[in-house]
Amino acid sequence: MLVFDHVSKAYKMKGVTKTILTDFSFRFMADRNVAIMGRNGAGKSTLMRLMAGIEPPDLGHVYRTSRVSWPLGFSGGFNGSMTGLENIRFVSRIYGQDTERVIAYVTEFAELGKSLRLPIKTYSSGMKARLAFGLSMAIDFNIYLIDEITAVGDEDFKKKSKAVFQDKLSKSQIIMISHSPTTIRDYCECGLLLDGASIRFYDRVDDLLEAYTDLTRR
Amino acid sequence: MTLVSTIDLLSLQARVIASLVLRETRATFGTSAFGYVWAVITPTASVGLLVFLFSIIGRQPPFGSSLALFFATGILTLQFFTEFSTKLMTVFDANRALLTYPVIKDIDTLIARVLLIAATYAVITTLFYTSLILLGQARLPAHPGHLLLAFVSTALLGFGFGTLNAVIVSLWDTWAQIEKVLTRPLFFISGIFYVPSHLPPQARELLQWNPVLHLVEWMRHGFYPNYNSSVLNPWYPVAVGAGLLFLGLAGERLFRRRRF
Repeated sequence: MLVFDHVSKAYKMKGVTKTILTDFSFRFMADRNVAIMGRNGAGKSTLMRLMAGIEPPDLGHVYRTSRVSWPLGFSGGFNGSMTGLENIRFVSRIYGQDTERVIAYVTEFAELGKSLRLPIKTYSSGMKARLAFGLSMAIDFNIYLIDEITAVGDEDFKKKSKAVFQDKLSKSQIIMISHSPTTIRDYCECGLLLDGASIRFYDRVDDLLEAYTDLTRR
Repeated sequence: MTLVSTIDLLSLQARVIASLVLRETRATFGTSAFGYVWAVITPTASVGLLVFLFSIIGRQPPFGSSLALFFATGILTLQFFTEFSTKLMTVFDANRALLTYPVIKDIDTLIARVLLIAATYAVITTLFYTSLILLGQARLPAHPGHLLLAFVSTALLGFGFGTLNAVIVSLWDTWAQIEKVLTRPLFFISGIFYVPSHLPPQARELLQWNPVLHLVEWMRHGFYPNYNSSVLNPWYPVAVGAGLLFLGLAGERLFRRRRF
């Protein structure tokens, strides 16, 4: 369960106040995948950070009883001077996973071979993304948060990622930020549209995409 | 609605803190093979330098028969304290990237670092004093219980001061410089190379406001059978430590949103 209860969030930086949410209440339905759309800077990523519990709301509460992932597709939490293996161990420990199982899964999935024993700072961005994606797939979350996931790697790896992802979708829910109508149609059944200080729910993807097109044309 | 129980939350926090300690250990010492060795060499060098300086000018130890033991009780205690105050100051900034994992909170990174520093210094001090005893530079401590209490109280004072520093620096960068200026004189006013009880009363009255001085005196009371400090009041550093820790943790909670 993921519930926003009268949540307000704003940023104040150098005297400029930026309102992201005002008194927003919403219950994410457990059986539906939700898209989050909006212009750049509308606060989509902040909304996702509130869902994950990385940032506290200014007012109101975010309730979460399911296992919610960290915003995926990111690799910022890796420590550059530690090896791939050490980073995998750390993340599996904090999520209380069987470390050896996770290592086996990621080794098999990410196909990084001996590079796993090298420090992350020697990795290319593609390698980092493979590691991050494999690691998040190794841990079972009820809700996966996906922030603009971009396909990484060659055709084979893309196919593999998609297959694993489809498999996850049968058991878990996803909440996804994307600008791409095709991706949204592929994965989501409904969505939220952020527009300045207002946020609207659309029960059908078609309506969401239409409203988004209107918004970007304005 | 099923709520997460307090037990579950505590075990989650314990798990996160344990993982962070392992990670910090690796980050602090693991970069070179001599990482751990350096941790021991640094205080040894400081003590060694003071012993050397006092020996060449032919001075007697201010108390007892060993220069090394006298300076070690001062320097190790002071370094233990300043380690907290400098290392905790950067803790929120240094671990910013980690907060992307929602299960990790600022306070976990703080506690993990405190545990690592305390464990490191427990090893360093044990090694150091054991070597002194084996080398005949010191006798077995007269009041071992007090050594332990003094050690724990130093950790408390450092934890409190360091936490408060971390909060202030997250609101006001300049504090990092001010803290340096404030803690620099500690080397001279903490009784490291003199016996505070032998000072004139006016000097004693002034210096006894410094909680680190009490901790150094407490360590010496633990080691020497007849140190008889006229300054030592063990409750003072404990009370200051608890007060600073309360202020620091309250500040962390109060200004949490400002750090994002």
